[in-house]
Amino acid sequence: MADELDFTTGDAGASFTYPMQCSALRKNGFVVLKGRPCKIVEMSTSKTGKHGHAKVHLVGIDIFTGKKYEDICPSTHNMDVPNIKRNDYQLIGIQDGYLSLLTESGEVREDLKLPEGDLGKEIEGKFNAGEDVQISVISAMNEECAVAIKPCK
Amino acid sequence: IKSDLIYIFYLLENISQVKNLALCAPPSMVNNEQRQHAEHIFLSFRKSKSPFAVCKHILETSKVDYVLFQAATAIMEAVVREWILLEKTSIESLRTFLLTYVLQRPNLQKYVREQILLAVAVIVKRGSLDKSIDCKSIFHEVSQLISSGNPTVQTLACSILTALLSEFSSSSKTSNIGLSMEFHGNCKRIFQEDDLRQIFVLTVEVLQEFSRRENLNAQMSSVFQRYLALANQVLTMFESSQNVMLKPTESWRETLLDSRVMELFFTVHRKIREDTDMAQDSLQCLAQLASLHGPVFPDEGSQVDYLAHFIEGLLNTINGIEIEDSEAVGISSIISNLITVFPRNILTAIPNELFSSFVNCLAHLTCSFGRSAALEEVLDKDDMVYMEAYDKLLESWLTLVQDDKHFHKGFFTRHAVQVFNSYIQCHLAAPDGTRNLTANGVASREEEEISELQEDDRDQFCDQLASVGMLGRIAAEHCIPLLTSLLEDRVTRLHGQLQRHQQQLLASPASGSMDNKVLDDLYEDIHWLILVTGYLLANDTQGETPLIPPEVMEYSIKHSAEVDINTTLQILGSPGEKASSIPGYNRTDSVIRLLSAILRVSEVESRAIRANLTHLLSPQMGKDIVWFLKRWAKTYLLVDEKLYDQISLPFSTAFGADTEGSQWIVGYLLEKVISNLAVWSSEQDLANDTVQLLVTLVERRERANLVIQCENWWNLAKQFARRSPPLHYLSSSVQRTLMKALVLGGFAHMDTETKQQYWTEVLQPLQQRFLNVINQENFQQICQEEEVKQEITATLEALCGIAEATQIDNVAILFNFLMDFLNNCIGLMEVYKNTPETVNLIIEVFVEVAHKQICYLGEAKAMNLYEACLTLLQVYSKNNLGRQRIDVTAEEDQYQDLLLIMELLTNLLSKEFIDFSDTDEVFRGHEPGQATNRSVSAADVVLYGVNLVLPLMSQDLLKFPSLCNQYYKLITFICEIFPEKIPQLPEDLFKSLMYSLELGMSSMSSEVCQLCLEAVTPLAEQCAKAQETDSTLFLATRHFLKMVFDMLVLQKHNTEMTTAAGEAFYTLVCLHQAEYSELVETLLSTQQDPVIYQRLADAFNKLTASSTPPTLDRKQKMAFLKSLEEFMANVGGLLCVK
Repeated sequence: MADELDFTTGDAGASFTYPMQCSALRKNGFVVLKGRPCKIVEMSTSKTGKHGHAKVHLVGIDIFTGKKYEDICPSTHNMDVPNIKRNDYQLIGIQDGYLSLLTESGEVREDLKLPEGDLGKEIEGKFNAGEDVQISVISAMNEECAVAIKPCK
Repeated sequence: IKSDLIYIFYLLENISQVKNLALCAPPSMVNNEQRQHAEHIFLSFRKSKSPFAVCKHILETSKVDYVLFQAATAIMEAVVREWILLEKTSIESLRTFLLTYVLQRPNLQKYVREQILLAVAVIVKRGSLDKSIDCKSIFHEVSQLISSGNPTVQTLACSILTALLSEFSSSSKTSNIGLSMEFHGNCKRIFQEDDLRQIFVLTVEVLQEFSRRENLNAQMSSVFQRYLALANQVLTMFESSQNVMLKPTESWRETLLDSRVMELFFTVHRKIREDTDMAQDSLQCLAQLASLHGPVFPDEGSQVDYLAHFIEGLLNTINGIEIEDSEAVGISSIISNLITVFPRNILTAIPNELFSSFVNCLAHLTCSFGRSAALEEVLDKDDMVYMEAYDKLLESWLTLVQDDKHFHKGFFTRHAVQVFNSYIQCHLAAPDGTRNLTANGVASREEEEISELQEDDRDQFCDQLASVGMLGRIAAEHCIPLLTSLLEDRVTRLHGQLQRHQQQLLASPASGSMDNKVLDDLYEDIHWLILVTGYLLANDTQGETPLIPPEVMEYSIKHSAEVDINTTLQILGSPGEKASSIPGYNRTDSVIRLLSAILRVSEVESRAIRANLTHLLSPQMGKDIVWFLKRWAKTYLLVDEKLYDQISLPFSTAFGADTEGSQWIVGYLLEKVISNLAVWSSEQDLANDTVQLLVTLVERRERANLVIQCENWWNLAKQFARRSPPLHYLSSSVQRTLMKALVLGGFAHMDTETKQQYWTEVLQPLQQRFLNVINQENFQQICQEEEVKQEITATLEALCGIAEATQIDNVAILFNFLMDFLNNCIGLMEVYKNTPETVNLIIEVFVEVAHKQICYLGEAKAMNLYEACLTLLQVYSKNNLGRQRIDVTAEEDQYQDLLLIMELLTNLLSKEFIDFSDTDEVFRGHEPGQATNRSVSAADVVLYGVNLVLPLMSQDLLKFPSLCNQYYKLITFICEIFPEKIPQLPEDLFKSLMYSLELGMSSMSSEVCQLCLEAVTPLAEQCAKAQETDSTLFLATRHFLKMVFDMLVLQKHNTEMTTAAGEAFYTLVCLHQAEYSELVETLLSTQQDPVIYQRLADAFNKLTASSTPPTLDRKQKMAFLKSLEEFMANVGGLLCVK
């Protein structure tokens, strides 16, 4: 999985992922499973025989697609952890299924899709009702997606 | 009338067909309405007035079982309902009718027969209260049935007795006949005195009769079995809440002390022991008889006779037989009961020879059950009967030998050796032991997956190990050298085996590794040997100073004359060498040699790590080693000689204060810790045990003084401060504890300059790195970058660790250090508002600081903390206003922030209960000057926080136990500490707080209910003080009065709650006297029985007699609480109906 990705590119020269010893991962933290950035929803250890070494069993949910992935590996192994970023933008428009978002520096982004499902409907509903809302956007491994909505302060 | 009855009867027959249809037919054929209709008719039939004639008619003519059943139920309910109106003779005849009815119809359906007999039992029970009706005749009738010799009739007799027994026994089995709990309780008491004994006598007669017969046919042995089960039921009926020991009244003396009774049960058991089901009952009867105690014995002599007789019977029964699997638990219960119940002086008063045989037998059984338990483990059986039996016997040993002054010294040594040896044997691999061998000597070995939830052996078997350790001490002369030689042998073999692996790896690195079976066997042997050694040499302790067990101390002292101290030190100090290679190795202190055997295991492990063989090592063994070393160090390292009458010279020379030995061993342990933390970061449990060993080394000043003299310690501190590998691979909890240890070490004795240097090494880098990060100009932009986040997280974790290290003598320094951070942390809340895991960690730092330090803080310092917390809450509130939690996987840890905030508030409040501060006593000299004007109080912070938390708490969230408990703890604290602030709360907050209390009292756990009751008292007091009868709080408390009144008077409530409920009740009564009188009046007016009415009225009068008019005076309140106790005893069960 490691050679599928080029870590050296990405925004501001930061790498997409960084390595972490498997045992140091935490539930509710993040990890790359099968090449996808995941939030760890379950983590347990086991060993084969009383004198065996620890293995870690990981269950993660793809932060973008919600798909579930699992993996099991020795706890000494290094796993890739995605660099996750969150940003809040003010929603200023919806066009052709894309969101218009105002960044803190005053620029407008129009490259993010209106999410599908309930969240998308909620965003559309609130926007159409004229409510001032902020959209939380999460980005990892060169992907970006709106994940939450909250009222403007 | 006759035609009416017949009409009803046919109606019922028809309905029952509907009903049968309803019961049997698929749902599609009978609709709900029909079903409910049928049920309704039956119910109203059962409630009809005086249905006796109809019921008799139905019983005599109907052929539908279900209708018969309903008729019996109707009779039972009506008799109780109309008892007072009925002629006693008609009740008598009704009972006779029912009994005759059953006798004449041997082919009745079982459930119909049982229901009719239940009706008989209920009549007898109701009659026992009445005295006017003689229920003794039933025993006469039953005994006639029994003497009939007809098995069917005898079975029926048994059913009658069983029905009586269930009806009179514990309240859970009692029928719901609408009488008070008090009535049920009284009935049981009277019943136990005499009637129960009669039943027992009848049962014993039947059993006598049967035990004399040679050949029993199937039908007869089924009768036999039923009577045996009945005997068991009788003997276990004396259960109180905690135990099921047999403690009958004096009236049972003649019956139970008659040695023929006990002999009968032994005889019966011998006769039926191969029948698994019956053997359960006979053994249970014997176990009950083995627990006989109380007024039944007139004097000690009779107790001695009884015990001697019993033991004789027991030995006769089990000696020379092969015990069946199904007997093991029963037999061990008998023995365990004998040893627990009979006092030592009685045990020793039985004939010597008999007692010796008993103890021999116990030793023999223990070993044998131990071996069978091991077999069960190999076969991986679900039902581990021998393990259970073994546990019981080992526990009995502990009871027996702990109080050994009644026995002459060394009395148990031989047995202790026997049991100890067999335990070791079962846990070692062949050829020394039998581990994993099946009965025919075949080795079985499987590699099973073990989950993290599986308890470690040292916890799972802690009771067994504690017993075996104790026996090992008693036989120290044998056991300590045995453990030493077994361990030394394993060390040599492990070393050899690892070398062979290494050579093979060197020779052909690519080839597959050698079979690991030999290694695994060695690891498992060492694992058990270390556990047993740990339990033998030291005790589990919680909080108190662990002492060297006296047996171990004596053993060492006894041999110290033959011991060569220098060789002993040499053995200790050279873990890399074979013990036997040291000249004069046999003249060393055995206890120290045992310790050094474990150090040798540890040394082999360390060398294997250095040789890159870590992958071959067992993390389990690594855990065992540090677990042992921690346990040992707590007890033996730098022994405080003042705590002992006598101290062994080898101990004080090797591990005493100011000795080379102790300095050496501290250095050795530290090296081990450092190596483990580097190598085993991926093994969470092992890393955790390791860092706990480190805490043990520094938590006592004397040991810490030695630790800080090691260069390694300083290296560890520097390495940790640099946050470089390998230490930063450790899990966060291990890192926290490591930080704690490093801080604790800083309070060891050092000169000022060194101390300065130490803090410069340990704490300053933390601060420096942190400030460097957050003061960068572009921090806002880069804050989400992973390196930055990691740096922040590590700092926050370290701060928690520092707070954990707080002790009274370092709080001044640590508080000042942490305060600087807290203010910066608030800024971080803003920066990381979108990163919940960081926000939670920030709050956690505050929680920890408040938890560990608030109790030591004086006014000025406390205010600093309050202010910081208030600002934190304000930021939190700003960022969470209107926040929706959208995550679909709503789990408890999603609400971590809420939980933490509540914990923080509770911790801040705890200062009102626990306060060690003496107006900044501990800070004297640190900060001159007066406390500034109180700008913020705890109340302000907490109420602000509650304003914040309450709207976020929903009823759904209360379903999470941790949130629920924390929430109620918090609101109770608030009500107790700031009752005056409650009425000032905004209206909707006030309402939800009151609603929470109501909910807590009515539908939460008893723990929460108690908390709410504790909250109500101060609220009511507040109302009384304020004297506003129109406030909302006043109205709310009126509602609480009704709730508490019902709880105390009408509901079966938890007695633990009486005090809390009583206090709340009294305060509420004071506040709402008129309403209270009204409640009492209403209650009394519903009582129809004039006797009960009078009793209740008197009880209520008495209850308030000492406090009229009730006022909030402490003395009056105490008097009231006392009367309440009496009130509860008098009428507590009267209104609670079952």
